Amino acid sequence: MRMCLRLAVYLFAVWFAVPAFAQAGSPAGLTIPATVSAINSSTPLSQRVVAYDMDAKYNAKAHSLDASETLTYHNLTGQPQDTFPFHLYLNAFQPTSTWMREGKREGTRGQDFEKWDNKSYGSEDIKSFEVVGQGDLTSQLQYIHPDDDNKDDHTVVQVHLPKPIPPDGYVQFKIKFHDQFPETLERTGWNRDFVLGGQWFPKVGVWWHGAWNCHQFHAYTEFFADFGVYDVKLTVPQYEVVGASGIEVSNVNNLDGTKTVAYHGDDIHDFAWTASPHYMIYNDTFQSSMGPVKLRFMMQPAHWSQAERHARIAKEAMERFDRWYGPYPYKTLTVVDPEPGSQAMGMEYPTFITGGTSWLMPKGLLMPESVVEHEFGHQYWYGMVATNEFEDAWMDEGINQYTEAKVMDSIFGPPTSVLNVWGITAGELDEDRLLYLGVADLDPMAQDGWKYADNNSYGGITYGKTALVLLTLESVIGADTMRQAMHTYFMRYRFTHPTKEDFLKTIEEVSGKDLRWYFNQAVYGTQVLDDAILKISSVPVDWYKENLKEKKGETEYIDNVWIHRRENFIFPVEVEVKFDNGDKVREHWDGQDRWVRYQYRKKAKIESVEVDPDHKIQFDRNNFNNSRTAEANGAPARKLANYWTCIGQFFAQILAWWLV
Amino acid sequence: MNENTSLVSAGAAIARRNKRYVIWFYLLNLAFAHFGASAFSDAAHGVLDNSLYADKLLHGFNLGVFIELLARPEFGALPAATHPAMMFAVVFFLASLLFMPGVLLGYASDHRLPRDEFYRACGRNVWRFVRLFLFFTVIAGVIAGILFPALNALVDAADKTSNERLPFFTQVIGTIIILLLLTVVRIWFDLAQTEVVLRDQRAVRKSVAAGFRKTRRNLGRLLGSYTVIAIVALAVLVAGIWLWHAIVPPSSVLGAFVVGQATMLLLLATRFWQRATAVAFYVKDLAEPIVEEVRAIPSFATPIVP
Repeated sequence: MRMCLRLAVYLFAVWFAVPAFAQAGSPAGLTIPATVSAINSSTPLSQRVVAYDMDAKYNAKAHSLDASETLTYHNLTGQPQDTFPFHLYLNAFQPTSTWMREGKREGTRGQDFEKWDNKSYGSEDIKSFEVVGQGDLTSQLQYIHPDDDNKDDHTVVQVHLPKPIPPDGYVQFKIKFHDQFPETLERTGWNRDFVLGGQWFPKVGVWWHGAWNCHQFHAYTEFFADFGVYDVKLTVPQYEVVGASGIEVSNVNNLDGTKTVAYHGDDIHDFAWTASPHYMIYNDTFQSSMGPVKLRFMMQPAHWSQAERHARIAKEAMERFDRWYGPYPYKTLTVVDPEPGSQAMGMEYPTFITGGTSWLMPKGLLMPESVVEHEFGHQYWYGMVATNEFEDAWMDEGINQYTEAKVMDSIFGPPTSVLNVWGITAGELDEDRLLYLGVADLDPMAQDGWKYADNNSYGGITYGKTALVLLTLESVIGADTMRQAMHTYFMRYRFTHPTKEDFLKTIEEVSGKDLRWYFNQAVYGTQVLDDAILKISSVPVDWYKENLKEKKGETEYIDNVWIHRRENFIFPVEVEVKFDNGDKVREHWDGQDRWVRYQYRKKAKIESVEVDPDHKIQFDRNNFNNSRTAEANGAPARKLANYWTCIGQFFAQILAWWLV
Repeated sequence: MNENTSLVSAGAAIARRNKRYVIWFYLLNLAFAHFGASAFSDAAHGVLDNSLYADKLLHGFNLGVFIELLARPEFGALPAATHPAMMFAVVFFLASLLFMPGVLLGYASDHRLPRDEFYRACGRNVWRFVRLFLFFTVIAGVIAGILFPALNALVDAADKTSNERLPFFTQVIGTIIILLLLTVVRIWFDLAQTEVVLRDQRAVRKSVAAGFRKTRRNLGRLLGSYTVIAIVALAVLVAGIWLWHAIVPPSSVLGAFVVGQATMLLLLATRFWQRATAVAFYVKDLAEPIVEEVRAIPSFATPIVP
């Protein structure tokens, strides 16, 4: 009886509760699929917030696309939501957009818009916008511009729902949209008969730290989105070779000369695809610690001979990441060798990356390797550890640049990990230094991506400085501890959106050290480090005696060394003083004062002095003044002058050859 | 082919017999380049001489460190280091313009040309050579001015295809064709210069016309000879760079200097070889005049070779 009563009360409650929830805007029966077919895991790996189901038809002649999108959103914000912002990234490629205005002002990554070219036009038009259970809200859509006052920017659109979505409720959006791709810009668009579909669909913002995070598309910011499930059908001409994020589910030829290729992705936060009739496919497999990963290299015909080169670096990078930081859980990795001359090179999307090479690529020029390694690294630092690329670009680009240096150095050797052609060498460290040195004091690492002084500062600080700061951090906490900290950071924050403090605190926790003195200067500050040998001197103790004859090993000297901290970054350093009798002395200077003097009384003169003799500090602005020798050695300058003379002779001969 | 070979060897024989000219020009070339590099050298010594970091440039060539060096404020502005080199290249060109008449006269002579005759020829022909240079600049400038933009357009068109190699090979083949055309113009003016010197021709336009006729009638032979020598020059350059890389230790300044200078000397010699070939052709052509040529040069009265 009691049971019957309980049941009656329960049914009564449900009877009233369901309509009440429905009235609040959350339709019944919605859920985010718990599929695992695209990952080497029996359970989902992320807290899935979104499920995108899209059906897109690509018009290869017009470089346009018509699609329908069904987005199911799980409200895990902990509060009712009646406002949802969406990214419409392709609208950035219009003359009055914020992306374009910033590009005109500061330069974009790869394009200077001296003149507007209609081929650069891109758009993402929402044709209809329906919220299931709440009707067609197309007319309610409003463009917003949360970062600036540019009313002409249409890269973010917002919808206000008549009925809020309750906490833990679901909402489903049904969107029809039309894309016009630009000739490749920002690693999306077409070139000749190639297309890379990146940032091509209306993508909902991220509820982060109590607010919607949905920034406009800026000249050099990237992306931020929630994890979820993607099911995408792409219809393209049958002659196209197609690749995309996730796993291929089906490939069906249609009667109208098109084919529909379906893809499925689990625990990813974006979806990109590519098509070209020219791709040649090279398949390989990598055995990760979570299971096999199918590697698919989509090569340009002229680069076919480099397919193995791409595969080798991909597998070597995957092996090191797996061993050092954690497993790659996805079942696929697609490496796209994009159309030559396009701006589609070197981009990361979940389980899908683009490389960058050309048909003439000497083995010693490691550009294809560094691009593939870098973009694969983003599967970790962006793909799985999904930081906010708008606000913390250094956390994906910079951390990734650091791990690129570690991986490339371990494979090719530090001095030659970028270039080793005919005796001319360069390593990852050199590359990072060059990026950094020109902009050292312009911006801090912890900076919103659109607030950098210019494109060079964005690149130099987010990529170069971050890598140098983390490489230098190894000297403070030890390389092994640093690797352990990176491993902990990855394992703890994979499939989440960590903040900069999450990263920094993890390093402090693993190392057991308070590193605020370092982070405050290096990450949050713009301090620059430049330690220099101010001067050295060796004066005989008996300098005052007439007819003093100095004899090596017998005459006693007072040796002085002055070290000067020329800039404002305070960093403790080692100093090594070498004497002409072979003695070496190591000093430790805390770097607090602007200068320090060391004095010795020895039967030897100073031969050389060097700050940071083990070369642990990587962001010293001027390495040339880190050391001073008592005797000048003109050989390096003579060598360069000899090169310069030969170049001058050659130039003069060519001039005279043709004109006389 | 046999004619070509004989012309090339005749030129080689003349150049070998008069190798002092190559040596002198080489020394000029080296001296001017040395002056041109002095600003760069001083700047490099200032930064590198007392720094241990310079080892990365001595025991190898670290490109990153080299760029860091160029970017240092104490190294100075890059143009301050590069402009002198360009200025002295122009000075070498002017010196070549000034002294080439003496060289051509020496090449045509069957004995060692006395110094005063050498300088007299230089002085007598300096203004004529300037005018010839201006003629050459206009003609070669027009050709280059038309052909290089046309080539660029062609390369742009090739770039629109999906064949990645096409723009590169279009560029290479197009450049080779243009260089061959410019070589024809160079042959024409080399012969005109030879004519001006050997005939003591004041009216350079007549020498230009004569050079044109001779080039037109003997284009295959002359272009073949010049091209063969140019290929030798290219081979010298490639071999020099390879030797520099293969046998010279990175820290051997002397070794690099020797290999580099040997390459520069041989490269210069190939251009003198071309000039000697032109002289050999000219002299031989005059020794076997065809009927039209005799008619075309009625005032041929002074001895060709002083």
